[in-house]
Amino acid sequence: MTQEYDLVIIGRGAAAFSAAIRASEITSNQAAIAMIGYGPIGGTCVNVGCVPSKYIIEAAKVANTQRNPRYPGIASSDPAVEFSKLMESLREVVQEERKSKYEDVLKFYPNITMYEGKASFVSRDTVKVTSISGEEHMKGYNFIIATGSSPVIPQIEGLEDTGYLTSESVWSLNDLPGSIGILGGGFVGLEIGQAMHRLGSRVRIIKRHDTIARGIESEVGSELIRALENDGISFLTGRKVRKVYRRGDKKIIVAEYQGKMEEIEVDEVLIASGRKPNVDGLSLGNAGVEYSDKGISVKDDFSTTNPLIYAAGDVVDQRYRLETLAAREGAIIASNIFNHSTKGINLQEVPWAIFTEPQLASVGYTEDEYNRNFGRAVTRVLPLATVPKARILREGIGMFKIVADEDTGRIAGIHVLAPYAAEFIIEGVTAIRNGYTFQDIIENSHIFPTVAEGIKLASQSFTRDMTKMSCCVE
Amino acid sequence: MTEKKVTMKVFGMTCDDCVRTVSDGLKKEGADVLSISLNDGIAIVKIDDAKISAENLVKSPVFGGESHYRAQLRKVE
Repeated sequence: MTQEYDLVIIGRGAAAFSAAIRASEITSNQAAIAMIGYGPIGGTCVNVGCVPSKYIIEAAKVANTQRNPRYPGIASSDPAVEFSKLMESLREVVQEERKSKYEDVLKFYPNITMYEGKASFVSRDTVKVTSISGEEHMKGYNFIIATGSSPVIPQIEGLEDTGYLTSESVWSLNDLPGSIGILGGGFVGLEIGQAMHRLGSRVRIIKRHDTIARGIESEVGSELIRALENDGISFLTGRKVRKVYRRGDKKIIVAEYQGKMEEIEVDEVLIASGRKPNVDGLSLGNAGVEYSDKGISVKDDFSTTNPLIYAAGDVVDQRYRLETLAAREGAIIASNIFNHSTKGINLQEVPWAIFTEPQLASVGYTEDEYNRNFGRAVTRVLPLATVPKARILREGIGMFKIVADEDTGRIAGIHVLAPYAAEFIIEGVTAIRNGYTFQDIIENSHIFPTVAEGIKLASQSFTRDMTKMSCCVE
Repeated sequence: MTEKKVTMKVFGMTCDDCVRTVSDGLKKEGADVLSISLNDGIAIVKIDDAKISAENLVKSPVFGGESHYRAQLRKVE
């Protein structure tokens, strides 16, 4: 027997919940919604993404501050890190967050029915759900595919036999590896790498390129690498990993470097080579949904090549894979379906951050992107050390870079490497969303002394020589 | 004139007053209301699609803006 739902959501992470809740709100909890998924409820962010990574980052920061106090007169001491206890507490936090923000929330929405199983399309409007109790068919008047993404595991000789960690399995560790070789240096590798290093592991990041990732403002990315190297992390760039094997209780990474093979001995290998969309098993071809290895193709309103079916979050072929973006997309899709609208998201207004210390936060165009698209960027770079609060924090490495339109002065991008950057990049979002110029930012009063004041100072540097300015000058 | 029978699901109705409000809203758009079920939210109407299409009927004022009723098309015959 085929069951019918007003909305079938495949996936049960941030995008899925956001869509289900918004759809319920719009329809006064009267839309019959099926949510189909497997694995821990809540998806990547709460289980193996933002929540555990930010927890361990903050814990590692405390250990680092104890080892390397910022201020003269405060003695350094070696923190006694009980790693298993820390990881146990991390898993408890994940469990609590999952319960309070996902499992418990469902009781407020009796119209949402949760199905544990794997969905695959059998036609343009019907999925087959396979679970331990058997198979059932569900017809939907609309669908949202929100199945997320998984770590990419590179094809490297010996990797499977040797064993490795990913950003998903690392949270099960109870013993801190003495040394870690991180393959790839994207956001996840940098965050987990710095945390593990600060907790006492020797961390080497092994990658082919000397930049962090595509789309990052290059000067800011280079400064982050400098900050992490200053922290004690080694970047082995220009390496192509050819093989991984075991030698006794060690793991050996064999990398090609300048035409020669070199061996890097580590206790553990962490794969941080990006993520891939979870489309396997969905039989998207049966539903007429086009996709590639980058994800599902969507129009501006997130509808796919089948107008009944939408896609949200990491499974979409789009520039960013962010929890907040996924959740926003889910909500917009629900509104597009039940309010018959065609809203989208301007990705230039979407901020993102790397939660290293210092943090890298960014929104909008990089200088190169703006010049490629419009050919008239004007930029200013303000070193973090010129911001009074940064000097109070004794934080020397970092910068503010603002990209603006040469003709109008409108802000096109703000890229920050600084303490708390993720907390105040929202000023950049507001500026871009509202079409502010650097003059508008200057005319907004900023609190002194804050790191966020750097955005105002960088804006002022479009018209003034900042070395000639007194404190708080307007 | 092309007469069509439209089946739609209406969300947000909780009482007979809601049914009346939705019915009046549909009539205002020129629809001939055959039935509206409070139980399952299914509304069946007849329209002259030279005057209003089924797609526009579910976007009519009674289902948009500040109204808390929404509708999804189910069948057009």
